[in-house]
Amino acid sequence: MKKLFAIIMAVVLAMCLGSAALAAEKPVVGLVMKSLANEFFKTMEEGARKFAADDGTFELIPVGMNSETDIDTQISAMENFITQKVNLIVLAPADSVGLVPSVKKAVDAGILVVNFDVTLDKQALADSGLPQDFLFVGPDNEEGSYLVGKFLGDKLGKDASVIIIEGNPGADNAKQRKAGFDKAVAECGLNLLASNTAHWETEEANTVMTNLLTRFPDVKGVMCANDSMALGVVRAIEAAGKSGQIEVVGFDNIGACQELIKEGKMLATVDQFGPEMAANAIKVGFRILNGESIAGWEKTPVEVVSKENLK
Amino acid sequence: MNTKRIAYLLLNEAGIGCILALLCILFSYSVPNFASKPNISNIFTQISINTVIAVGMTFVILLGGIDLSVGSMLALCTILAGFTITNKELPVGAAITLAVLVSMLTGMACGLFNGFVCEQWKIHSFVVTLGMQNIARGAALKFSDSRTIFSFPAEFNSFGLISYFDVPVIFIMAITLVLVGHFILVKTIFGRMIYAIGNNEEAVRLSGHNPRIYKIAAFMICGATVGVAAILYMLRLNMASPILGNGFELSAIAAVVIGGTSMSGGKGSMIGTLFGAAIIGVLNNGLLLMGYSDFTRQIATGAIIIAAVILDTYRAKLLRMLSS
Amino acid sequence: MSADILSIRSVSKNFPGVLALSSVSFSIREGEVHVLVGENGAGKSTLVKILCGYYKPDKGKMFYRNKPYLPETPRAAMDAGIRAVYQEFNLLSYLSVAENIFFDRLPRKGILVDKKKLHANTVDVLKRVGLDVDPGMPVELLGVAQMQLVEIAKAISSKCSMLILDEPTATLSQGEISRLFEIIKTEQQQGLTVIYISHRLKEIYEIGTRVTVLRNGELVSTNDVDKVSVPQIVSMMVGRQMGVEYPFNDAISPKSEPRLEVKNLIIAGNPNKISFELKRDEILGIFGLVGSKRTETVRALFGADIKRGGEILLDGKKLDIRSPRDAVKRGLCLLTEDRKTQGLVLDMPLASNETLAALNRVTKLGLVNKHVEHFESRRLSKGLAIKTPSVYQLARNLSGGNQQKAVLAKWLFRDAKVLIFDEPTRGIDVGAKYEIYLLLWRLLSEGKGILIVSSDLSELMGVCHRIIVFSGGQVSGEALRPDFEQERILKYAYRVS
Repeated sequence: MKKLFAIIMAVVLAMCLGSAALAAEKPVVGLVMKSLANEFFKTMEEGARKFAADDGTFELIPVGMNSETDIDTQISAMENFITQKVNLIVLAPADSVGLVPSVKKAVDAGILVVNFDVTLDKQALADSGLPQDFLFVGPDNEEGSYLVGKFLGDKLGKDASVIIIEGNPGADNAKQRKAGFDKAVAECGLNLLASNTAHWETEEANTVMTNLLTRFPDVKGVMCANDSMALGVVRAIEAAGKSGQIEVVGFDNIGACQELIKEGKMLATVDQFGPEMAANAIKVGFRILNGESIAGWEKTPVEVVSKENLK
Repeated sequence: MNTKRIAYLLLNEAGIGCILALLCILFSYSVPNFASKPNISNIFTQISINTVIAVGMTFVILLGGIDLSVGSMLALCTILAGFTITNKELPVGAAITLAVLVSMLTGMACGLFNGFVCEQWKIHSFVVTLGMQNIARGAALKFSDSRTIFSFPAEFNSFGLISYFDVPVIFIMAITLVLVGHFILVKTIFGRMIYAIGNNEEAVRLSGHNPRIYKIAAFMICGATVGVAAILYMLRLNMASPILGNGFELSAIAAVVIGGTSMSGGKGSMIGTLFGAAIIGVLNNGLLLMGYSDFTRQIATGAIIIAAVILDTYRAKLLRMLSS
Repeated sequence: MSADILSIRSVSKNFPGVLALSSVSFSIREGEVHVLVGENGAGKSTLVKILCGYYKPDKGKMFYRNKPYLPETPRAAMDAGIRAVYQEFNLLSYLSVAENIFFDRLPRKGILVDKKKLHANTVDVLKRVGLDVDPGMPVELLGVAQMQLVEIAKAISSKCSMLILDEPTATLSQGEISRLFEIIKTEQQQGLTVIYISHRLKEIYEIGTRVTVLRNGELVSTNDVDKVSVPQIVSMMVGRQMGVEYPFNDAISPKSEPRLEVKNLIIAGNPNKISFELKRDEILGIFGLVGSKRTETVRALFGADIKRGGEILLDGKKLDIRSPRDAVKRGLCLLTEDRKTQGLVLDMPLASNETLAALNRVTKLGLVNKHVEHFESRRLSKGLAIKTPSVYQLARNLSGGNQQKAVLAKWLFRDAKVLIFDEPTRGIDVGAKYEIYLLLWRLLSEGKGILIVSSDLSELMGVCHRIIVFSGGQVSGEALRPDFEQERILKYAYRVS
C-alpha cells in the first residue's frame, strides 16, 4: 500500500515538473470554458485552439465542464492552473459569484486573470478585495438582445403583441438578455403578453410556446433568449399552422437557425462572434502582459443577423 | 358483486383516470380554450415522448429496478439516428427506415448493457444506470462533437405534423406503444413473469425459471422505447442534439409512480402509467394557460407527485378492506 | 394457587372476511407457564398481537393486575411489562449482542454510551439465559438458537413480568430445546409469567402449567396440563377425533432399483461428500438437527445453491444440474421450507401460482389463456382440496396448509417425477397435516419419487419407508421401517456434531 502511494506521488511529481518545464519555454494560457456540450462554447473553444495554433507563441490549455451548472470543475481547473503557475488565465465563469474566490487566489498568486463571456459579480468582487471594474472582455448581452428585440419591434410596429421565452432563471446572461428584450418592448411600444422560461431547452420551449399559442392566439412576435429555444418555438408555430404570421428572433446565431432565417421562418438572431470571443480575451491578456493598461469592460462586437446580412 | 367490481376498478387504474378527468373538468371551466380541439391536440403531442419512455420505465420499475439513463440514451439515439437520416448517400426512404432501426438498436444495446451488468454482478440498477447516464451522454457529445443535427428530409419533418381528426400522429404512435405494453403485461407469459419476479424473485427462480433473462429483457424493452421516443422527438422538433433529454428520466419515473406502480416492484399497470403521464402534461398545460408563473408550475408538479403517492397508500388500504 | 395477573373478557377481533377472535375469555395466573395451542388460524397470533399493542380488539376488555389494560402501541405494552419473542426475530443484525439487548435503554455517560456498564450488564443477563457469547459480537454471526436467547435476554432484562414465546422451539435442536426449557423454568421460579405457543403437543407436558385450546377464533377450554391427554387436546384443536395420526400404506413397498441417486455431492461450506439414493416406490426421509446441512444438501441437489462436485442420477441417467431451471426440466422439484418467501408469489392469485412452473401448459404463442388456466387451476385445487373462495384469491390470503397445497399443485402441474419436501408440514395445523400425508401416499402410488427433509422425527417415523440421518454435513446413519427406534436415530443425529 505504502509502495503504491510512493509510486503515485512520484508520477504526480514528475508530471508537475514536466509542466513547469513546459512553462519555461513558452508562456502558458489556461482557458476555463463553460459546458463544451453546448455548441456555442464548443465553437468558441475551437476558435481559441485555432488562434493558438496560428499564433504559435504560447501554449493553450483549455478546460471545459460537463454541464452548465458544474461549478466545481471550473474551480478545480482554476486551482490546477494556479499550482502550475500559468502566465494567464482566461475565464468564462459558470457562476458570477462562485468563481470570485478562485479568481482572487489566482490574482494573489501573481497570475493575470481575464474574465470573459459572463461578468463576475461586482459586489462579490468588492467583498473579496478585487476592483469592481475587474477586466472583462465580452459582448453586451443586454445590448444584443435589445438590438434584436428592436429589430423585431420595428418590423411589427407599435402595439404588436409579443412573447419572451427566457433562459434559466437566475443565470446572468438570461437576466441580461431579458433586460434587453424588456428595453426593446418599452421603446417600441410593444404589448408584452407573457414572459416564461424554457430553461434554454428546445423541447421545453416547444411545449411552452404551443401552450402560449393556445392562450394568446393573436401573438405577433416571439423573442427567445437563445437559438436552441427558438428552434422549438419555430416548430411550435409551424405545428399550429401559423408559419409566416409570427416573427421569431433568437440569440447566438447557431447553424440550425441560419437555415431557418434563410427559409424565412425566423426573422433574426444575434451574433456575438463566439468563436473569436475566447481568442479576443487571450489577445487582451497578452496586451496587458506586454505592458498595456486596460481595465473595466472591453466590449466585443454584437451584430443582428437577418436574411439581409446572412451569407 | 357488481358494485364491488366497480369499486375495484375505481381503486385501480380507473381511480387515477378519475383524478385526470377531474383535473380536466376543473381546467375546462376555469381556463378558456383548455377544452378546445387544438389545445387537446397540443397536450397529446406534449405527453407523447414522456409516455413512450414511461412505458419502458414501467417494465423496469415493475421488476423493482430503475433506469436513470433514459434521458441520456434519448440524446444518443437522436444523434445516431440523426446521422443516419441526414446521410445524403442513402435514398430518403431507406435513410428514414434505417434511422428508426438505428435508434431502437442503440437503445436496446444500452438496455442490454444496463441489464447485463446489473444481473451479472448483482449491482442495483440505480448505480449501473447512473453510470450509463454519463456514458450515453458522453457518447452522444463525442459522436456529434456537441453539435446539433438538423435539416432532416422534408418527408420526415412533415410526417411529424400530420394528425388524423386532430389526433397527432406521434400521439397515435405513443398510444399504440402503451397498448402493446398493456397487452404484454396482461396477456403474455412475459408479463406474468414480470409481475411474479417483481413480487418474489426467489420463488420464481425455484420454480425453474431464469429471472435474469426477464430482467435483462425489461431493460432492453426500456431501451427500445427510448429509441422510439428519440424518433418521436425528431419528428416533433426536427433536430437531434446531444444535450437534449436532461431530466427526462425523472418525468418518466414520475409518470409511472403517479400511475400507481410500486417502486418496489410487482404492482402496477401500463394504463396507469399513461394516465400518470397525462396528469403531468395536463397540469403543465392548464397551469400555463391560467397564467401561473414558471415557479408556481414547478411547485404544483412536485406537489402532485407527492399527493399521488400519498393517495396510493390510501388506495392500498381501501383495496385491502374490499378484499374481504 | 396464585392470583390472576391477566384476564381477557369477551375479546373479539374482525379482519376483512375473517372473524379472528370471537368473544374469547380466559385468564392467566401469575407465575404460570400458560400454553396456548390451536390450529393455524385459531387466533393465537391475533391474541398475542392484541396483548402486545399491535392490534386493538373490536370488542371486549382486558384486565392486567386488576386494572383495565388496552395498549395503544407496542411501546405501551412493553411499559406495562408484557414482552413477546416472535418466530421472526426482531434483531438488528449489524449491531452487537449487547446493543441489541439494551437497545432501548443504553446506559449513558453524558452523551456517550457507557460501554463498560453496557458490557457488564450484558454479561449478567447472558449468564441468566445461559448464553456464552462475546457481548460485542454482531448478532448476524449468531446461530438461530443463540439469536433466540438474545431475544429472551432482551425481554427479561427489562421490566418484564409476562413473556410471550411464539413457537420458540420450531427451529431448535433437541439439546437447545431442553436448555430453553431450563431457562424458562428458572425464570418462572423467580416470578415470571409465560405464555407459550407451540405446535408440538408433547412440549405442553414438559413445560406447561395450564393449557388453553383455541379453535377458529373461539376458546375451547382451559385445563391443567395433567388433566388432559394429547389425543384430547388434538381432538379439541381439530374438533374431530383423529383415528390414525399417520396414514401408512403397506400395500406399496420399495423396489430395489434406485430412482434418484446422489453420489459424492459436495456443497459449499462442507468438506464431506454426501451420497444416498431414493428407491423406486419409496418414501425416504432425511432427518437431522439444525446445522446438519439437511436443507443445504437438498437445495444444492436441486441447483438452488452452488454445488461443488458430485453426480446426480435420475432413473439411471446422469443429470447436469446447475440451476433450478435444469432440475425442473429433468423432473425434480423442491418444496422449500419457507413457503412464503421461496415457494409462492404471495401477491398473485392462487391460479397464477399453480401454473407458474408450467406456464407453457396454459399458453399459446406466448399468450396466457385465461380460460385454460382457470379450468386447470380449479381442477388442481379441487384435486388437492384447497379451500378458497376462488382460484383468483391472492396466495397471501390462504391459510398455511392451503399455501403448502398450492405449492404442491404447482409441481404436480409441472408433472415432476421426484418431489423433495423440506419441512412439508411446518406451521400447518394437525388436520391439514394429515391431508398432506395422505397426498404423499397418493403421489407415491402415482409413481412419483418422494424425499422428505424434516426436523420432526415422529413425522418421518410415521410417514417414511426409510430414514437417513444427517449429522455435521454427512450421512451418519440409516434406519428401515420395521426397525425405527427414536433413540437410535437420535444417537445417529448427535454422532458427529
